[in-house]
Amino acid sequence: MQSGRHTPGTNDNPSTAPASPSATGPASDFDVNQLFASTCGWCHLKGGREAGKGPKLADTQLADGEIIARIRNGKPGQMPAFGSAFNDEQLKAIVGYIRGLKP
Amino acid sequence: MTRSWHVAALSLALLLLAGAAATAAEIDAKRLMNADKEADNWLTYHGSYKSWHYSALADINTKNVGSLREAWSHVASRSVRGLQSYPLAADGVLYYSGSYNQVWALDGATGEVLWQYKQKLNEDLVAKQTHSPYNRGIALGYGNVYMGTLDGKLAAIDMKTGKLKWETKLVNSEKLTVGFTGAPLLVKDKVIVGAQGGEWPDRGPIFGVDANTGKQLWRFYTAGGEENNGDARNTWLNDSWRTGGGGGWMAGGYDPDTNTVWWGTANPAPLYDWSGPDWKTAGARPGDNLYTTSVILLDPDTGKLKGYHQEVPHDAWDFDSATGEFIMLERGGKKYVVHPSKSGFVWVYDRNAKVQNVWRLIKNINFVQDIKPNGELVGRRDMTAGKHENLCPFIAGGMSWNMGSYNPKTGLLYKVGNEWCMDLEIVKTTPILEPMAQLNIGANFNITNPKGDKAHGHVSGRDPITGKLTWEVKFPEPPLASLLSTGGDLLFVPDPRGWLRAYDARTGKELWKHNNGQGHNGGIISYRAKGKQYIAVATGWGGLAGDDYPSFFGGVFAQMPKDSGVLKVFALP
Repeated sequence: MQSGRHTPGTNDNPSTAPASPSATGPASDFDVNQLFASTCGWCHLKGGREAGKGPKLADTQLADGEIIARIRNGKPGQMPAFGSAFNDEQLKAIVGYIRGLKP
Repeated sequence: MTRSWHVAALSLALLLLAGAAATAAEIDAKRLMNADKEADNWLTYHGSYKSWHYSALADINTKNVGSLREAWSHVASRSVRGLQSYPLAADGVLYYSGSYNQVWALDGATGEVLWQYKQKLNEDLVAKQTHSPYNRGIALGYGNVYMGTLDGKLAAIDMKTGKLKWETKLVNSEKLTVGFTGAPLLVKDKVIVGAQGGEWPDRGPIFGVDANTGKQLWRFYTAGGEENNGDARNTWLNDSWRTGGGGGWMAGGYDPDTNTVWWGTANPAPLYDWSGPDWKTAGARPGDNLYTTSVILLDPDTGKLKGYHQEVPHDAWDFDSATGEFIMLERGGKKYVVHPSKSGFVWVYDRNAKVQNVWRLIKNINFVQDIKPNGELVGRRDMTAGKHENLCPFIAGGMSWNMGSYNPKTGLLYKVGNEWCMDLEIVKTTPILEPMAQLNIGANFNITNPKGDKAHGHVSGRDPITGKLTWEVKFPEPPLASLLSTGGDLLFVPDPRGWLRAYDARTGKELWKHNNGQGHNGGIISYRAKGKQYIAVATGWGGLAGDDYPSFFGGVFAQMPKDSGVLKVFALP
């Protein structure tokens, strides 16, 4: 619990919020497990092992190209389009993650 | 009188009449201040600055509600994720918004379309958004309909013509992904609107905009505050305030007595932290993380922080305070502000945000052992990386963002409560900021039944200050729509399966029900047009909380459409 009246602080940091240098986007140290828990796991439950807001991904019958197309293009009102967020290497890693899902 | 004099006199009379009508219809600061005294209208998202979500109209009441019938309906085009908005009614006209920032003005008595508006959106951006393309509400004033847009603008639409008057870009949604979905709040001559984003790497700004010109007047960053205005960046070690979260994504409240805006803020990002009990010094965002999961008090004229209370310091569960109305009450000569939150607890404040009481709306809570009546959290369950079972409530909250209703006749607060839990695996994550920000959850999880029970929802009538229960009705799935109570001693509850029910507000006895054909996930109001009382309710399923229903609850939800929206309006024969 914390409450109070406001006392102006003395922090000189800029009020705008540029990206922190330590907060990297798609990069060479890309970790697909991190990515899934960060961005995908909210809808594909239990790491993709169960259906939630989105379908169960484990044992999907979709071909690799179909999975990549769905991630790139999304589905209106159901799944965002990640085409500009992830590169080809990362998309392949996500497919690898899905193929590797164990119950 | 000559013919020219006659024409001149007639013209003058018509002008005066038009002037009088315009004056009567003008929604200005004074009229908004007294919105609770206009039973025929519903002028703001929360009904009035009291945020009671109550209509004093009593033509429809416990004695005749059994005869309530559908009067007319309006189909909202392109209703992807259903209809989540709150209709407003002013002087016989009903206004409401829908997905993709569409707005309609309808004749309140017949439903005839007076005008329709479609915001020009960056549709490529909208396709990349998670919390999209719904809109949850609009504001009326100074001849305008105000709406926050998915791509980060505030738009003012002419109330009479439906034409765009101005729009102001406030958020760089192309970079930050999030925009606006919550209703703006009009205070005096300022439009106040909060951006989306709890588990998003923005800093949850709230904006004050000139209601007439559209000029941005102030901005308040909820995550970390701002230099010389609530600077709290020292409550986020390692500069973690930069990727903070904290969006004020639902409409706040206003206390005219103290000229203070009350706004609730969302959780910090990442949503789940892996710090465990060392959260003051370790993890993704060490520290209290002010002003996330807080209620903040702002000066509407300047945006200056006047005070705050952080309901959950270092929120590690997504039990944010952006949900929940700020119910202004007076009892025994004392003034209170009652604020429900996603945590399942209800906070009771004085008008300076000093905690007066905290009470539980739901049974299944174990993210803390308790929250004391003075607001102190006891027995926090701070999780480390790895697996954790039976965390309650589920991430969707002990209460969702839908609104309750306070009825001054019964003295009861009616709220939906959700009983559900979750298993999860916390994963250390790194925020994704390039090329555009992405969701930052930090866990894999699944919804579960509470131990020894089945997940369900309930609607109860309670004392708003003490939480004392008068009655409760259970639902097989938590209702996700807002409630309406009326001067006719009725409580209307729109449920997920499609039933709209009316209860005796004093006893909880069911008096009437009607199946609207699809789930409810939006607002409900009452108003009068051409002398007749109407009940208007948004229907349409597909919100983010409800998206878990098909896989978890099954049944009717497996086939329920998620791209359909209809405004249904009811009246006595």
